Amino acid sequence: MLPLCLAVIPWGILCGSLAIQNGFSAVETQAMSLLVFAGSAQLVAIELIAGNTPLLTILFTTFIISSRHFLYGLAVRHKVIDQPMRWRLPVSFVLTDELFAFSHHRKAYRTKTRLIYALSAGFSFYITWNLWTLIGIVAGSLLPDLTNLGLDFAIAATFIALVIPGIKNTATLATVITAGIMATLLKSQGFELWLVVAALTAMAVGYAISRMQAKTEKNL
Amino acid sequence: MMTTILLMACITFFTRYLFLHRALPFKVGPKMQQFLSFSAPAVLTAIWVPIVFVTDEGINLDWQNPYLSAAIAAIIVAYKTHNIYYTTLVGMGLFLILN
Repeated sequence: MLPLCLAVIPWGILCGSLAIQNGFSAVETQAMSLLVFAGSAQLVAIELIAGNTPLLTILFTTFIISSRHFLYGLAVRHKVIDQPMRWRLPVSFVLTDELFAFSHHRKAYRTKTRLIYALSAGFSFYITWNLWTLIGIVAGSLLPDLTNLGLDFAIAATFIALVIPGIKNTATLATVITAGIMATLLKSQGFELWLVVAALTAMAVGYAISRMQAKTEKNL
Repeated sequence: MMTTILLMACITFFTRYLFLHRALPFKVGPKMQQFLSFSAPAVLTAIWVPIVFVTDEGINLDWQNPYLSAAIAAIIVAYKTHNIYYTTLVGMGLFLILN
């Protein structure tokens, strides 16, 4: 999790400085990172709010971008559901893309040690995110051109680091290729549901291939 | 503005918490679990690939695109080392040099 805390630096700076340059106050910018704690939703919402987009559109967009968390919740449900509320609430608060990518251990969330491990990872990520938002706020008010540096590439680099080592079979490889092509095509067409549709299609492809492989193995 | 931020916070938390709520009366079966096991690679890839290729003008397949060369370098490092540090450092480093 520590490398991920480093990887979030450019992203936090981007979020902080983008908000400041779009007319957010420092308090509003920090409040967003403290309360919403969702990088991609925040970045999109900042631009929408700055463009005087109607509230309902902003909320709907937030919902669409965040709806991938439904998948994460479903996927870890059987691991977390037997824990009491006082554990489940904080776990869901810090259930980010990054923490989810670290949730695949068979025993993840199931023992007290694993829970504490997941929460420390999740909250160290939360603290880093907010610290770098703060630095972005300061940097954004001093340097005007920070948002054109291409800091968003940090997101790509982080996710490449999370995804590529996990490709261990044809099914996952097909999932990744499908997700990449679908998302690029749909997003470039301006299709609003690009993320959800691309992810679900890719998951279906991966699932179908793994089922076919299991059947072939059975018949041999 | 604060109202918007608070409502956004409610939405993101709701999407994260919903399926960890115990009163929802269902169990995720083995088939569904297998389908969901592809969610991390699918969602993360669907986020990062468009960052590399999609610009305001459309899809950018130009080899001069610094996003593309840095992404390819990051993929190679991730594949060879399985290390998050090296991957992000090489990717970001090369990107900043090219950009």
